[in-house]
Amino acid sequence: MTTYATTPPPPVPEDVSGLGHNRGTDFSGEAGQIDADGVHAWFSGRLVLAGVTLTMEKSKVTALIGPSGCGKSTFLRILNRMHEVVPGAQLAGSVRLDGLDIYGPGQRAMETRRHIGMVFQKPNPFPAMTIAENVLAGLRFSRVSAGDKGDLVEASLTKAGLWKEVKDRLGELGGALSGGQQQRLCIARALAVKPRVLLMDEPCSALDPTSTLRIEETIKDIADEVTVVIVTHNMQQAQRVSDYCAFFLAEENLPGRVIEAGRTETIFGNPTDQRTFDYVNGQFG
Amino acid sequence: MTIEFDMRPGGSVGVTPSPITPNRDYSMPDRIYRRGVQIAGLGVLVLLAAIGFFLINKGFPAFRVAGLSFFTHSGFNTLGHNPTFGVFASLVGTVEVAMVAMIVGTPVAIATAIFLSEYVPRRSRRSLIALVDLAAAIPSIIFGLWAIFELQPNVVGLSTWLSRHLAFVPFFKVTSPPLNASIFIAGLVVGIMIVPIVASICREVFSLAPPGEREAALALGASRWQMIRTVVIPFGRGGMIGAVMLGLGRALEETIAVTIILGGGFLYGPHILQHGGTTVSQFIVVNFGAGGKLGTQALLLAGFTLFVITLVINLAASSIVNRSRSGAGVDL
Repeated sequence: MTTYATTPPPPVPEDVSGLGHNRGTDFSGEAGQIDADGVHAWFSGRLVLAGVTLTMEKSKVTALIGPSGCGKSTFLRILNRMHEVVPGAQLAGSVRLDGLDIYGPGQRAMETRRHIGMVFQKPNPFPAMTIAENVLAGLRFSRVSAGDKGDLVEASLTKAGLWKEVKDRLGELGGALSGGQQQRLCIARALAVKPRVLLMDEPCSALDPTSTLRIEETIKDIADEVTVVIVTHNMQQAQRVSDYCAFFLAEENLPGRVIEAGRTETIFGNPTDQRTFDYVNGQFG
Repeated sequence: MTIEFDMRPGGSVGVTPSPITPNRDYSMPDRIYRRGVQIAGLGVLVLLAAIGFFLINKGFPAFRVAGLSFFTHSGFNTLGHNPTFGVFASLVGTVEVAMVAMIVGTPVAIATAIFLSEYVPRRSRRSLIALVDLAAAIPSIIFGLWAIFELQPNVVGLSTWLSRHLAFVPFFKVTSPPLNASIFIAGLVVGIMIVPIVASICREVFSLAPPGEREAALALGASRWQMIRTVVIPFGRGGMIGAVMLGLGRALEETIAVTIILGGGFLYGPHILQHGGTTVSQFIVVNFGAGGKLGTQALLLAGFTLFVITLVINLAASSIVNRSRSGAGVDL
């Protein structure tokens, strides 16, 4: 039987400097590859994720599947350093973006998050900003000048599949859109800073089927330019959108870990582990 | 082709709504409880109205003597055949003390609130919040004593510096020393006194800022300060304004600390750094018991004036705070 480390490492120092210089970073290029190696996570001293080693291929869509509480959202948040925002959260292991350790010394959480964007379960546009301002919010944070802002707003909204619906009302508040539109606005906002990886944490679970399909189309459209990692509870969705799949499971009294990972066809069509077979065929979880 | 319906009751839909009778079948304990809170709630309003009525009723004879000059003249000469009295200088002083207090206290209070809700480590947060709330409970006489023995000797130097180097600002000009017992020092004390209450309300509002929007900002690469500026402060703006207005209400009515500090006299003008000055509540306390029957009536009229001012400020403040609370429900 596998034993897990029980003593958590010292907490990750949270980035509180707020200066946002580009010091110590060497990100460049287009879509990126993420390598997670031996990732462990704790909440208030309790181990919830153990020994996850997973590669998320460049320009591909990787789906993280598994029952609730198996640590897949925690894992996703570790990939862009959002895990450390939660009080009492700790972690061990390494995460590399194109070979560069995002937890390495001198790496800033803010800088990492600009390269590895995130879309959340619940649409969270800034309600007091207009649609256009929402799209440009990330640029404002990084104080990057965008060239032509109008072009960037149009390009980002087009990529997110929202441009046609909102092109005449860019000055309206982001909070005035429907739930599905808000989520696509959040995707446009995340894409506007030109991230190399986009993390999506059950992006469709609060949406109706039509909006869900729109977002799935968006995911397929953007996958060339940005690597996508998506957490989903919807098996059909995982099959429809992903190239690779990783099955997470937290068995009784054990922390979550990856049971099986590989090409989506294999995971769904011919899994090697019985537990994967049972899960993807809806026989437990 | 569109089909048009007359949506009014009994219109082309042909259905009228059936009357809904609210369920008034309360149990006995429920009825007792309802009546109890009703009486308590109405009691507060009745008491408030009674106080207002008492003040205007008892103070009105003074208004009949002085007329509107009560608000445009200053002084307290109520004995003799030709009484002259009024609260003009006291009103000016009240506003000046409150302005100094708000200018000094508001930034400190808001910074304290941001620090408590956003920056303090979780372990020490609770105890620090309790400490700030506790500061709101310190009696104002304590602040007054501390101010006159400790604050004032140390602030006179600042007053001197301001009057020397910034005298081109009318407020900092001094025509006659000394520089103690001034409106400025009274305003400083009141400013310190309002910090806990304003900070406490602001912190409460800030802590309600939606976690989803906070995470959205952080995930876009915002620094903590950028996140606060983008999410927390816009969200808490209404509550901040309300808190500041509640602090203003407190600053306008503060009596004892101001009375201890202020030099008195009916001088008025922009020269807040120099000795002397009066506020409405100080005017009432200092002159209480002097001036005979007409004097008492004049003081009650002054009290009514202050009552109306603070009531209006507090009503405005609470309506703004309430509006911001309902905004807290907008969870996107």
